[in-house]
Amino acid sequence: MTDIAQEKSSRLRMMTRLGVWISLLGGLLLPWIIMLAVEILVRDVPVPRAWRSFTLHLFAPGYNFFLVGVLTALPFVILALLILFHLGTAAAHNALIAYRRALGLFSAGVSMVLIAGWIHIDVLIHPDAQGALAYFYLPILLLTILPFGYGLGRALAKAFLPRLSS
Amino acid sequence: MTAAESSPNILSAREIQLHLLGLVLVLGLLGSWYWFSTGARVVPTLIELLKDDDPSTRIVAAEQLGQVGPAARSAVPQLLSQATQDGSQHANTTAAIALKWIDLTAARRVMTHFVPRLHDSDVQQRRIACAVIGSLGPIAKPAVPALLAVAHDADALLRRNALIALASIGIPPPPIGAALVDGLRDSSSLVRQTAVTQFAFTVPLSQEAVASLTPMLNDLDKGIATLARTALDKPRAGDAAHIESLGMMLGHSSARDYALHQLAQLGPEASDALPPIIPLLNDEQPLIRYLAAESIGGMGAAAKQALPALQRHQDSDPVVRAAISEAVSAIESGAVVSAEPFTKELPR
Repeated sequence: MTDIAQEKSSRLRMMTRLGVWISLLGGLLLPWIIMLAVEILVRDVPVPRAWRSFTLHLFAPGYNFFLVGVLTALPFVILALLILFHLGTAAAHNALIAYRRALGLFSAGVSMVLIAGWIHIDVLIHPDAQGALAYFYLPILLLTILPFGYGLGRALAKAFLPRLSS
Repeated sequence: MTAAESSPNILSAREIQLHLLGLVLVLGLLGSWYWFSTGARVVPTLIELLKDDDPSTRIVAAEQLGQVGPAARSAVPQLLSQATQDGSQHANTTAAIALKWIDLTAARRVMTHFVPRLHDSDVQQRRIACAVIGSLGPIAKPAVPALLAVAHDADALLRRNALIALASIGIPPPPIGAALVDGLRDSSSLVRQTAVTQFAFTVPLSQEAVASLTPMLNDLDKGIATLARTALDKPRAGDAAHIESLGMMLGHSSARDYALHQLAQLGPEASDALPPIIPLLNDEQPLIRYLAAESIGGMGAAAKQALPALQRHQDSDPVVRAAISEAVSAIESGAVVSAEPFTKELPR
């Protein structure tokens, strides 16, 4: 491999590693960050009080923020596995295919984050008796969005990525 | 060159394996975090939280202890103190609710503490007493006569609280149903609305209740009229499909207490659900065993089939033992301590 090809390959390697862990930890932390942000920014709760209330309700019946985090993280675990097996097993010498896959997975991840974020914010800002049901349907919705987001990313990659030579 | 750099793929097989291992480790860590933060393991921490200055912390701690159930017995003294001495009514009621899942005798002690307060000269104390007794649900059955008296208090808010408490206790159904029917004719619209809400969502309809609710369909207050429609549209005591669905709910741990409480209020009409109730006399939760005994007792002679199981049963909880003994007497004497049979088609 040439120096340029090697540089691209090591960039892709780093991107894959980061993608796996950002997807996994980001999926878990996303709802918790939103919960804290809504308390602090929307409801004007002081940070220490918001943090205390959050930790208190992590395992509290009727709240179970831990379960909410895990439910939201499930589709992101699947995304992490896809990154690992789909992007991680791409041929290192064919950067074009790897970048297309990376853009597809990135687009899937961004779509999932946007939908999950929107649902979490909506449930918190407009609470009602059935609001919590959204948390149970969210993983199914995110898993449905994943292939569409991936397809969109691949289509964008095909249209805009220049032909890269290894 | 490292192994990853010399690999034909972006990640080498070894690196993929290591990532997978890391992923499993993260999931394992999450599982351990959950395991260490729930169940009996977290009871000492929750007991400490019951001593917190912030009422919302004490409330959440009590709710979590209630979910732990009998394994949180070591929290009983602190919960008793919160139920009876705390300055926050919400903290009182959440501690009382927790106690009914942990220790029925302690829950009854909360009731005994508050019953004399139903006659306190301070109306606010009487309101709090109603709310806390009501939060104990069917465990507060012995407080029904005192609550029936309070349901005629001069203070409308107290009458409302008393009706909510009576509906939440639910047994024995005849006097509670009668008090709620009286509430439908109360001079205060708040009390009338509360009474009709209980018929809509909590207590089964008696024939008298249907007769009183029917004219309310034309009430000038649209809210009351809608609630009356909801009450009259719900399944009736003699509805076999309703009994069957309650019987099925007994198989689900999260709905078991609700289903048993409903069946206990249906009396002999609930006897079709007897087979799945009998095994619940051996449930690990004393509240479930208590409700099973109350349901069987409410069926009277129709529950003869349960007599051998009741006579054989040696319960460790004195409140459950007393309920079983009452159930045996009710079956043997053929007495019916439940709502009147109601099968006739009602006006819609």
